[in-house]
Amino acid sequence: MNKRNDKRSAARVVREQIQREKRRKRTAWIAIVAVGVLAIGGVIGWSIYASQKAGQVNTPAQANADGNAIMTGTGPIIVEDYIDFICPYCKVYHDEANATLSQLIEDGKITLVQHPVAYLDRYSTNQYSTRASAAAACAADDGKFDVYTNALFANQPKEGSAGPTDEELIMLGTDNGLSESFAQCVRDKKYVSWAGKVSSDASKAGVTGTPTIFVNGKKIQASSAAIVAAVNEASTATPSPTS
Amino acid sequence: MQWVSLLVRLGLAAVFLTAGALKVTDLPASGRAVVAYELMPNDLAMTVGAIQPFFEIALGLLLLLGLATRFAAWVSAATMVVFISGIVSAWARGLNIDCGCFSKGGHLPPGQTPSYLPEILRDVGFLAMAIFLIIFPASRFSLDGWLNPVVQDEGEQTHEQAE
Repeated sequence: MNKRNDKRSAARVVREQIQREKRRKRTAWIAIVAVGVLAIGGVIGWSIYASQKAGQVNTPAQANADGNAIMTGTGPIIVEDYIDFICPYCKVYHDEANATLSQLIEDGKITLVQHPVAYLDRYSTNQYSTRASAAAACAADDGKFDVYTNALFANQPKEGSAGPTDEELIMLGTDNGLSESFAQCVRDKKYVSWAGKVSSDASKAGVTGTPTIFVNGKKIQASSAAIVAAVNEASTATPSPTS
Repeated sequence: MQWVSLLVRLGLAAVFLTAGALKVTDLPASGRAVVAYELMPNDLAMTVGAIQPFFEIALGLLLLLGLATRFAAWVSAATMVVFISGIVSAWARGLNIDCGCFSKGGHLPPGQTPSYLPEILRDVGFLAMAIFLIIFPASRFSLDGWLNPVVQDEGEQTHEQAE
């Protein structure tokens, strides 16, 4: 090894070191950019969520005190149900239990508090859950929430398909004796924000699926037999009205 | 190995992009999927659920482009560990939920049993892919390779040039 060779290899070591240092710096910059990309993604998500949460909510006149359900009847026992108009099990529950519930309301035994949540917007291609819930609230303003609910379940769209459009929802209403103000209410999307509130309140109440039924705050099976049993139990336990 | 890394990288990118895209159209539902795990207070869970799809898409894009691959692989691995522990804990507590990994989420209707084991195995598979990328981050067609080519590291490049 002569001197020149030593010098050359020393220079190469230095050059390599500089290059490695440059590379390390570049890697650090790339990492910073990557963190930035993830952070931007998070901030976008958060801001969209925040903007969806805020905003004014119209509440139908027939709503309960919390403004997140439609009340029918004046009985002392509170039967609460959470349903989504596109959920097949909700239709099964509705078809099976509706007559029993109507009878209990007529007998003055219960107050039915119904939360038409829009949990399953993803099951239709046109946010049917939200629009059906909003239309049902419009029907409630006409005093025909129960009639319209029956009609919605009788015409339930298949999951994964396009649900009825707003115009079709209006037709369904007018076919069932709803007025022009109902049509206007649906067209104005008056209660679309309300459907969102019903859903987020239901989620806060720990309702993670539909149908979910409570009798005086106690969760029960979604069937007429379970409702009757719970109502009987509640009426013997506390005969005095609480609401 | 760079070709294998490319396949793993693109595979993992597809996983995150799909998972994110399926949830991003319905943020409240994504939030409710997190709520169903009953691990966080409601407001926090809803917020996490809203952010998660965007986070997944951003992570998927990093992997797709091959930008900061090793870093993205670490984040992917950490994310998978969180998902797997979430499912395991839901299973251990006997919750009857959909994992909400790819869309849906929330409580299952009565009569339907959750499929926790396949979900966990699938996520372990994704975790393995992420770990592979941590070990072999260099891949073909990556932004990393273009922005920051390997120079004389352990003489690797000299070998390649020689061959």
